[in-house]
Amino acid sequence: MKGTPRMVDEALEEETRDLLARRAARLREQGESSVEEAVHWIAEFPLGEERYALPLESLRAALPLRMVTPVPLSEPAVIGVLRFQGQVLSALSLASLLGGHGWRQDPAVLLVVDRGDGELCALDCEAIPRPTTLSLASVEAARARAEGPVMEVFTQDRQLIHLIDPKRLFSVSEAGVRHGR
Amino acid sequence: MAVDPMLQGLVAGFAVEAQEVIQKVTMDLLELEREGLENDALAKIYTRLGRHLHTLKGSAASLGLQDLGDIAHRLEDALAPLKATTQKMPRPVVDILLHGLDLFMLRAQAHADGRGDYLPDPAAALAQLVASAPPPEAAAVLPGGAFAQAPAQAPALVGPGPSESGAPPAQEPQGESADAGWRVSARQVTSLMREVERLREVRLRVEERSRELERVSTLLAKQGLLAETAEARTLLSGTGRSLRTDGEETSDIVDALEEGLKAITTRPTRTILEPLQRMVRDLSRQLGKEARLSVVGAEVSLDRRLLEKLQGALVHLLRNAVDHGLEMPAEREKAGKHQEGALTLRVEQQGNLLYLEASDDGRGIDLVAVRRVAEKRGLVTADELARLNDNQVRDLIFSEGFSTRTDVTDTSGRGVGLDAVRATVESLQGRIEVASTRGQGTRFVLTLPVDLGSSPVLMVRALEQFVGLPMLAVESTQLARADLLRVGRRRAHLEHLGQLLPVVDLGARLGLRASTPPAEGQPMLIVQSGGRRVALVVDAVVGDRDLVIRPLPSEVRDVAAWQGAATLSRGELLLILRPDWVVSDSEKAQVSAASRRALVVDDSLTARALHRAMLEAGGFQVHLAASGARALERLAADTYDVVICDLDMEEMDGTELIARLRDKKETRTLPVILVSAHDSAPARERGLASGADGFLSKRECAAGRLLAEVLDVMSRRGSRA
Repeated sequence: MKGTPRMVDEALEEETRDLLARRAARLREQGESSVEEAVHWIAEFPLGEERYALPLESLRAALPLRMVTPVPLSEPAVIGVLRFQGQVLSALSLASLLGGHGWRQDPAVLLVVDRGDGELCALDCEAIPRPTTLSLASVEAARARAEGPVMEVFTQDRQLIHLIDPKRLFSVSEAGVRHGR
Repeated sequence: MAVDPMLQGLVAGFAVEAQEVIQKVTMDLLELEREGLENDALAKIYTRLGRHLHTLKGSAASLGLQDLGDIAHRLEDALAPLKATTQKMPRPVVDILLHGLDLFMLRAQAHADGRGDYLPDPAAALAQLVASAPPPEAAAVLPGGAFAQAPAQAPALVGPGPSESGAPPAQEPQGESADAGWRVSARQVTSLMREVERLREVRLRVEERSRELERVSTLLAKQGLLAETAEARTLLSGTGRSLRTDGEETSDIVDALEEGLKAITTRPTRTILEPLQRMVRDLSRQLGKEARLSVVGAEVSLDRRLLEKLQGALVHLLRNAVDHGLEMPAEREKAGKHQEGALTLRVEQQGNLLYLEASDDGRGIDLVAVRRVAEKRGLVTADELARLNDNQVRDLIFSEGFSTRTDVTDTSGRGVGLDAVRATVESLQGRIEVASTRGQGTRFVLTLPVDLGSSPVLMVRALEQFVGLPMLAVESTQLARADLLRVGRRRAHLEHLGQLLPVVDLGARLGLRASTPPAEGQPMLIVQSGGRRVALVVDAVVGDRDLVIRPLPSEVRDVAAWQGAATLSRGELLLILRPDWVVSDSEKAQVSAASRRALVVDDSLTARALHRAMLEAGGFQVHLAASGARALERLAADTYDVVICDLDMEEMDGTELIARLRDKKETRTLPVILVSAHDSAPARERGLASGADGFLSKRECAAGRLLAEVLDVMSRRGSRA
């Protein structure tokens, strides 16, 4: 009788060992793949019902949306101007730049962004963005597909992120402004 | 050959000094050849000239620069007979003396650069000077006659290199290298300027803190607890005093730093304008014309980099004016003008804007010729040309490759010039405009941003918008009086010092409200710019401030109304108006009265901006209000076709605003659409139950949806839509 429980214990031990070994192997694989896979850091935020993001390296600061002076007679996408570290920056409506977008709550945050030409500007945002990563390969693939300033990239869990290319966004909006005049 | 570094330093310093002296001598020579100077004035100039030449000779000799000493000596010899008789200097003599000065300066520069040993023997050049020099008796009795051939030997205006017969010396002395100082990059200085501006903001904040402390003391005193708070108030009062002293000291430091930076980074515009006198004189001589350049505002100091870039542009404009603008003396006389053409350069700084005006009293721009050439050179098609008005045709002269010259001369005809001027001005984020009247002359106005130093600004308010106006543009302020206003069907005029000035409502001009004649007692500013005046109606005059005006970012830089922004004491920005925009013809800019009007009421700045963008895209004229109370004010003054209102606002929410509107006969049937961040059935029911004609969640306000809802609601209400 004594042998039976021991056998059970041994069997359980063996099963546990196998389980732990499989789990370790899986974690090792995950670790190896995550080390090997190049990633693209992004700052992700909601815009209406969708998820948008900016490359993290283009983000300089997130500020509360206040002390913005409206600029009468400016382009419709311009919310106003504000002071940031001794400079005068424009605050722009991201929803308007993206062609008229619905939003869930009134933006309360300004993201100070490098436009890609060395100048800074601020974009309004519904919430403070969350830093996260996307696979670099998927970003590159989306970049190759995209014609406009927004790339559609899927995360590992199949969530769609609209990744904004600041350089393209501002060159498009400036061209629009020039043509409009 | 090894050169003693100390001696080399002295020679470099001498070259800088010589350049300054030669500039003075040049100005005196140009003065001496003019008509109509009194004997006393002539004598003074001759004395000064002699002294300057003697200084050059003495300084050169003391450094062992024998060749320069000899040249200066020859120049003194040439001057002596004329000085003795105190008469107007004949032009050929002026030519020779100017030529001698060029020679002197080129050699001085070569010595300063360590190239003195490689200079050719000055004997030949000196011999030429001697040969050309007036024999004393001839110079004294035959002004002009003995030297009639001299202009042919006059120095060329632009030479390829430092040949002894060639060009005037480079204008920029090697002062920096000659000074025993530091070399710093422009970026380092710019960064330092930014820090000074930040310090200025800190000073403003210190002032604000001091005012806050005073308010706290006053509040404590009002509590009626005088005895209990006595110690605290004494302490606060002492801290307030210390803070004020600190603020004053900081202010002094900021001013000193700013002055120091100005001295390092700026120089008077005369340093580039005065040499142009010589250029105008030489060029007009070469072309057989007569011209006189007057300079106004030469004392204005500007950024050295800006001046260096502008120098080329001004040379182009003046060469153009002499060559194309001014007529030959006989032609001018026939047209009833003085045979000497008048050129004027005017420099004026208003706030952070620099106005540079180059004008002539010549023949003006021939628009027929411009049209012909533009079409011939393929710059525009005949169809395009037919649609252009005179101003647009005039602007064609800035096109690349444009020239009305059929032949290429030393001066012009290559089609390179005004396009380069425009490119230079635009590279400095400025703009250039031209005005011209046939037979009367041409005027180019360059407007450029300058960003150093503070300037006085008058702060005013239109509705909720505070703006600044450079004080230089404000002549006076007054309150509106019905007996001085002439209200017409299209616009009002103010009777002011015997003139009728157009009345401009700032709020309407900025698109914040519809234009209405000023109410009795409403503040008005008399604003002038470029000789035009308007009476600017504002809602309040807040007061004057000394502010640093900074350029606007690229997204709003092209908005014609604004020249920059300045930081106020609490850190918020104040937009500064361009006076030339204020006085420009506002009627052209006004939106057609037939367009549909919408009022957007939302306490969120971004929501207002988004709704405005969507509605303007649909052809609406949009006015904004940040609260229900402001909306009621707007609705009492203006009429609107539709109101888009946020449901959830502080103080007065959307339902309350609707209730107030429905209570009034005038607004009972006004279509109102409520929008809300709450996308729920109860919010929708609450909104519609309040009497709204439509309800949208902000999520639904995507492109086209808001506009569709607005048009639908207006249609249902039987509105004008």
